[in-house]
Amino acid sequence: MSPATIAMEARVLIPGHATGPALVLDDTLSFWGGFEPSNGEIIDVHHPQFRQLVGGSILFIPQSRGSAGTPGGIAETLRNGSGPLAFVLGEPDVNISVGTLVANRLYELEIPVLEISLAAMAQIRSGDSVTIDQRGIVVTGA
Amino acid sequence: MQLNRLDQERLDGKLGKAMQFAMETIVTAAHIDQAERLIDISFAHIDACFYNGRAHLDFVNYMLEHGATLAVPAWTNNGLVSLNDLSLRDPLASREMDEARQLMQAYVKLGCNPVWTCAPYQLPGRPELGAHIVGSESNAVSFYNSVIGARSNKYGDFLDVCAAVTGRVPYSKLHRDEARAATMLFDVGNIPQEIRRDDLFYHLLGHFIGRNTGNLVPAIAGLSDDCNEDDLKAISAAGSSSGSVPLFHAIGITPEASTIEIAFQGQPPQRTIELTLADLQQARAELGGNSDHALSGIALGTPHFSYAEFERLVQLMNGRSVHPGLVFYLTTSRHVHEQARQQGWIDSLEQAGVKIVTDTCTYFSPAVNGLRGKVMTNSAKWAYYAPGMLPVEALIGSLRECVESAVSGEVILDPWVAE
Repeated sequence: MSPATIAMEARVLIPGHATGPALVLDDTLSFWGGFEPSNGEIIDVHHPQFRQLVGGSILFIPQSRGSAGTPGGIAETLRNGSGPLAFVLGEPDVNISVGTLVANRLYELEIPVLEISLAAMAQIRSGDSVTIDQRGIVVTGA
Repeated sequence: MQLNRLDQERLDGKLGKAMQFAMETIVTAAHIDQAERLIDISFAHIDACFYNGRAHLDFVNYMLEHGATLAVPAWTNNGLVSLNDLSLRDPLASREMDEARQLMQAYVKLGCNPVWTCAPYQLPGRPELGAHIVGSESNAVSFYNSVIGARSNKYGDFLDVCAAVTGRVPYSKLHRDEARAATMLFDVGNIPQEIRRDDLFYHLLGHFIGRNTGNLVPAIAGLSDDCNEDDLKAISAAGSSSGSVPLFHAIGITPEASTIEIAFQGQPPQRTIELTLADLQQARAELGGNSDHALSGIALGTPHFSYAEFERLVQLMNGRSVHPGLVFYLTTSRHVHEQARQQGWIDSLEQAGVKIVTDTCTYFSPAVNGLRGKVMTNSAKWAYYAPGMLPVEALIGSLRECVESAVSGEVILDPWVAE
């Protein structure tokens, strides 16, 4: 089987470029309280991916949730380099986007945030190779 | 999106770089929300004063260095440290604790009213029904929307500050009438009345609603008429921890829900759940079981303890003391602390062995002094978060159960839960 290449339409919430492996969250996650921004670790004991590190991934978040602290957690994990290379959301999330926007501004980064449909999201598996450019997302099966 | 002339000048940098950055952030948020215009706000509750890494401090320093001022009254949420007791969290831990203190002081410098509380709605000066405001702390957003009928989305760090600096937010989601309609019904009519009167019931109910609401707007039917603001605070906090519940309606109780028809704006519920006792017991099990380990502490006041809760605690303690060796923390705001002090309650509780803390909370890392092991709490929010952040296992109980356990030194639960 040759890996299928899928091009997906995305809405760009925060522009940028990234290439890396997909990490798809299996449940909602609060980036404050459920996430440790100093090392990029999921620390919500109720989360199926408890103890997973998100650093270096293209992080797919089907449904977001959370706390007022989300933008701060996002900005800090991006500042110290333990965060994802990009966020791909199944629903628009202002908090994740603002945290990324602030980190991009303060630290001169270009971390993108995109939104895709849940139907498109359902085709992504953790480990898939993902490329994000200005036009949208290109996924190549791992 | 339409910007008025003043908004455009803010965005173009004519009112300084801090205003420009704040406006860029607001406009980005409006783009994401697909809002057609911005509206004025009258108040903001700021969460960005809560330290969660160097980025927080870098942001406010950027704003201060570039001349930011506030366009509306802004009150502060909890900080990571207590400015009244810097030794509460290990003072030697450090650079982080010192930056946390600097962060809080930076928001005072920006012009915020330093109330340092996650329950600002307990203080005088509430927004009015229908007022557009900025809430950030998730329980406060839920309480402002649901119980007061003010209108706020969950703004989160930085955007809360940008809104307070510009006085503007996107006209989107919960600021609009149609987004405030209930879409899912939770009926608690089958739960025995004596359980519905228990303060623990509201924490378990909130936890269950957070777990089961998804993106719908929940309405609760069947709550007792004597349900009070602390009970509604419990639903706000618990629902916003196990899920995302920035608005709920309590039929016959909250201001936009005098009837089911009004709460649902004439539409039928998309989903209905009739709660059972088993649902509550499941919620309780998710918030900590009674292990073999000995009880080591009690944590109350998440969100911050109210005046009424102080009164009830003093009655329940009834002159007794905390069992030797147990650590008993209670968190509250400076404002309520002063009210309680005037009643003599602070003195009597401290003499009984209760440690009363302001400005902060006890469920987040690093642990306040001595808090470890099996900790009992009356808060679903505390029980939900603390085990992931502290070296503790949590066990939820009613206020009465917490007090009886604190006095005896071992866990004492009411029968309906133990069975």
